[in-house]
Amino acid sequence: MIPWHSLAGKSVWVTGGVGHLGSVITAELDKQCRQVACFDLPGRAEALVRTQNLTRTLPYSLDVSDATALPAALDAVIAECGLPDGLVHLAVASSSGRTLENLPPGEFQNTLDRTLPPTFVLCRELAERMKARGSGSIVLFSSMYGVVAPDPGIYVEPMTPNPIDYGVAKAAILQLARYFAVHYGPAGIRFNCITPGPFPNPSVQQAHPAFIGELARKTALRRIGQNSEIVGPVLFLLTDSASYVTGHSLVVDGGWTAW
Amino acid sequence: MPETSPFSLRGKVVLQFGGTGLLGRALVSALATAGATLVIASRNRSSLAALAKSEQAAGRFVEVDEVDIGSEPSLHALRDRVLAKHGRVDGIVFNAVARTMKTANDDLAAWRASMDTNATGFFATVRTFGDVMAAEGAGSIVNVASMQGMVGMNPWLYEGTAMTASPDYFFHKGGMINLTRYLASHYGANGVRVNVVSPGGIFNPEKPQAPAFLERYGKMTMLGRMAEAHEVGGAVVFLLSDASAYVTGINLPVDGGYTAK
Repeated sequence: MIPWHSLAGKSVWVTGGVGHLGSVITAELDKQCRQVACFDLPGRAEALVRTQNLTRTLPYSLDVSDATALPAALDAVIAECGLPDGLVHLAVASSSGRTLENLPPGEFQNTLDRTLPPTFVLCRELAERMKARGSGSIVLFSSMYGVVAPDPGIYVEPMTPNPIDYGVAKAAILQLARYFAVHYGPAGIRFNCITPGPFPNPSVQQAHPAFIGELARKTALRRIGQNSEIVGPVLFLLTDSASYVTGHSLVVDGGWTAW
Repeated sequence: MPETSPFSLRGKVVLQFGGTGLLGRALVSALATAGATLVIASRNRSSLAALAKSEQAAGRFVEVDEVDIGSEPSLHALRDRVLAKHGRVDGIVFNAVARTMKTANDDLAAWRASMDTNATGFFATVRTFGDVMAAEGAGSIVNVASMQGMVGMNPWLYEGTAMTASPDYFFHKGGMINLTRYLASHYGANGVRVNVVSPGGIFNPEKPQAPAFLERYGKMTMLGRMAEAHEVGGAVVFLLSDASAYVTGINLPVDGGYTAK
C-alpha cells in the first residue's frame, strides 16, 4: 500500500518551475516523483536540471501566457511524457510594475490576458483528459494580495507598491480554482490554491533590508518566508494527504492575514 | 513514513486530547504512523487501552494518560508528568468535545455543561501547553473544529431523519476558529504555530447515517460524498509537521469543498 503522503510513481508538472518558489518545488518533486516536467522561459528549465543535478525532471520551454497556442503545445508534451497526475501552476504574467496613477488600461488588461485565459485553458485541457482516469490534483498559485490589499505605507521610493493588476489577477485565480473544483469534483479531480504571504526573492532581500523588516513585522511569526517553506504545503495538496480537500485556498503567510 | 519525509513526526512529542470517537481513533493512527511519540489524554484511560495496545503492537509509540480538561490543576499535573517523562512537548491536537446538547430546545444546563468543556476546557488546555511550547521557542497547536463552525445549519439535510444539529456546537466551533487566530498572534513571536482543521461530515461505517442524509450531504459537497475518518489525519499531520513551518493562523477545511460552493 502506498502511504497517503507519497508521490512515488506519480508524474507532476510545474509551470514557472525555475523561479524563487518554483525551483525548490521542482527540486523536491524530482526526489519524490517518478517523473517531473518543468516549464519555464527558454533555457531556464534546462539550466535548473543541470545545476541541481535533477534526474527525473524533463525541462520544457513553454510560453504559458499564450492561451491560443497552449492546446497544441500541451498535446505535444502529453504525447512525449504522458498525462500528469498533478499540476503545480506558478507561471503567470507577473504584473505591470506600475503605480496606480501611472497604469495605462492596456497594461492592466495585458496582465489579466496573459494570466487568466491561459490558466483557464491549461486547467481545462488537463482536467478534461484526467476525467477518464478519475483522479488528479491541480495546485494553482494565488497571493495574499489576492485576499488583502497591499499596505502602500511599507513601500518607500523608489519601490513601487505591489501593483493593482497583480492582486486583481490573483484574486481571480482563487475563484477560478473554486469553479474548477466544483465542476470536476465528481470526476475525482481536486483543485486548490496556495496563497503565499511574503516570500521576497533574494535580490529584494538584499536591496531592501528595511522593507524586509516591515514585511516581517506584519506577520505573527515576525519573519518572512523562506522559499523552502512553500514546498510542504504544495506536497500536502498534491498527495492523498488532502484527498478530501478541494476548492480551498491554503494560506502560507506566517499569519499575515490572520490578524 | 521515512524520517526524511517532510511530514514525518519522528522525534516529536505530541499530545492528543480526545481519542475515543470515530475521528479521534483515526487521528491516533495517523499521528502514530507519522512517527510521533504520542500521548493520548482522556478522561477515561481504560477506553483507550485497546487502541493504544494495537498501535504499540504495530511498533508505534502510543501511551495513554488521564486528564480532566475542565480542571486546570488536572491539566497542570498532566503537563508535569509529560515533561518529567519526555522532557518536552512539540505539539498538541485538541480534538476533545462534549456533546451535551441535542436540540435548540434543550435546557440551558446542557448549554452550560457544553461550555465547561468546549470553551473553558479548550482554552485551559491550549494555554497550559501553548505556554510550555512558547518557553521552548517552538511548537504546533492543531485544533479540530468543524465545518459547522464556518457555516450555519441546513435543515434540509436532516429532514425526515432522527438526526439533529445542536446549537452549542456551532457556537464553540466558530469560537475555536477565531480563538485559533488570537493564539497564532499571541504565540507567534515565540515560534509556536496555531492552526485549526475544520472537517466536514464523517461517514460512520459502524453506525451509518440515514440514507436520505447521506444522499443530500453528498450533493452539498464538491466531491459528492462524506469524508472517511482517515482523510482528516493528513491535514493534522501536515500542520503538526515541519512541512507547514510558515503556516499559522489558518483554518483548513477538510470538507470535500462543502464551504467553497
